Amino acid sequence: MQFDTQVKTAVYRWTVETTKPPTVVEMSEVVGAPARDVRESYRRLRASRVLFLEPDGETIRMAPPFSGVPTQHCVRVGGREYYANCSWDALGIPAALQEKAQVSSRCEQTLEPIRIEVGREGPEPVPVVAHFAVPAAKWWADLVYT
Amino acid sequence: MLFFRSEERVNEWCRSRGLPRRPIIRLDQLWQLAVAWYENRLRPDARRPGPDEMRRIFAGIGLEGPFWDPESDEFG
Repeated sequence: MQFDTQVKTAVYRWTVETTKPPTVVEMSEVVGAPARDVRESYRRLRASRVLFLEPDGETIRMAPPFSGVPTQHCVRVGGREYYANCSWDALGIPAALQEKAQVSSRCEQTLEPIRIEVGREGPEPVPVVAHFAVPAAKWWADLVYT
Repeated sequence: MLFFRSEERVNEWCRSRGLPRRPIIRLDQLWQLAVAWYENRLRPDARRPGPDEMRRIFAGIGLEGPFWDPESDEFG
């Protein structure tokens, strides 16, 4: 397995198990490689749009659909609580894990809570829509805003 | 990519911020997007869809036009 694939796979496994993306040091121990090599791998994975990093160039802000920071989109799967980057990713977490989930979010206009039960075949019907404010060609220009 | 209770709430939110109203996606469409994008994301050979795949995924659930074209320059 190529090193970047090894790192990517290990990042996702770590995130699934701990609910937070790993630091460079943590990943360095997992893959048995120097931190410098992991840091460079993170940057290549950012360039190929697999990971999104903080401005420090090494902290994982997003391993889509998982968020490295708390957001308004909380996804409970079993006894674990993950944060998602957006409405799409909130459903992306149960899709990736192929597990049932409860999504807790909010209506951005009224701030009232929104709760969505997601089964293996998809979400139960509730009065909720998603608004995509940014066109597809611009998503990675400002991914946090998107 | 935010949740709202209804199309009316989206319209209010856009008006209050002076933002253009852009596409509204139903929950079942959002689930189809989530599955298409992330179903295999945890596998070692997973990769992000390329532009042609993205167009096919979007078109498959009725999302077509420049807004959904990952290579469109229509929006500046």
